[in-house]
Amino acid sequence: MVIGEQEMQKLVGTAFPGGEYTVEPWEHKLMCDVMLTPEPPGGLAHPIYAYQATRAGMGLSIDEFFALVHADPDDGGMFGEHQSELHTPIKVGETYVVSGRITGTRRKEGRKAGLFDMVDFELELRGAEGDLVAVSWNSWVFPRKN
Amino acid sequence: MNVNVGDAIPDWEVKDVSAEKMKIFSALIRDPNPIHIDAAAAQALGLGQREINQGPISMGYLINMLGDWTGDVNCVRRLKIRFMANVEAGDDVVASGTIMGINDGQDELLADCEVWLDVRGGVRAMSGTATVAIPR
Repeated sequence: MVIGEQEMQKLVGTAFPGGEYTVEPWEHKLMCDVMLTPEPPGGLAHPIYAYQATRAGMGLSIDEFFALVHADPDDGGMFGEHQSELHTPIKVGETYVVSGRITGTRRKEGRKAGLFDMVDFELELRGAEGDLVAVSWNSWVFPRKN
Repeated sequence: MNVNVGDAIPDWEVKDVSAEKMKIFSALIRDPNPIHIDAAAAQALGLGQREINQGPISMGYLINMLGDWTGDVNCVRRLKIRFMANVEAGDDVVASGTIMGINDGQDELLADCEVWLDVRGGVRAMSGTATVAIPR
């Protein structure tokens, strides 16, 4: 049975556990390899970490996030939109603090996609001193199968 | 660096998007979504014939394009992307962009750009905007 639209809207405002995230050098090296680009010089991380560091540090695994929004990974949830702002470069080896919350849910029906929910969430990445390093806003699409 | 409104950003291409890279990415971020690691799962959901490239990897291609253009991948100040269609394993894709505006700020010269990623011979996979710092 498909989760009700009102139940989904109750999720708006839900704060994620948050936590710390360290840009591990080995992981950064592999991430750059996956994106087919050399590591940036000077110990700086690739800007994709405005997404990666915030998502990975939000305090929920992808599996747990799917469960929070009443979705099954086997139904093929995926990215809808992304926005990020980088205030200072992210550094390899640094540990950051992540916080965030669900900011919106939207139920839609597409001719091809069928019924789906879009879940919007924002995440902040801060340095050890509380300085704002990056913000990301994301919308993920969750198909709703009957 | 001389930049003007309307200038095209040099394309950044990927030939034969790799399913193996998708598997590495799934492992790195502990993503259980089968559409990235199993072509049959993507087919069963009607999403494509082969493994579906993760959105952040494709977004990375756009950032790489901006980095190759300016000489510094950490030139990106803002990025706003809409995911419009899937990139599948084996696709050839090309990241492109155009300068829409130039702002000489107090601290740095900024270019507002339209950016997009197309599948060769196919659909537009993503489009959006980026603000990047330009070397003076």
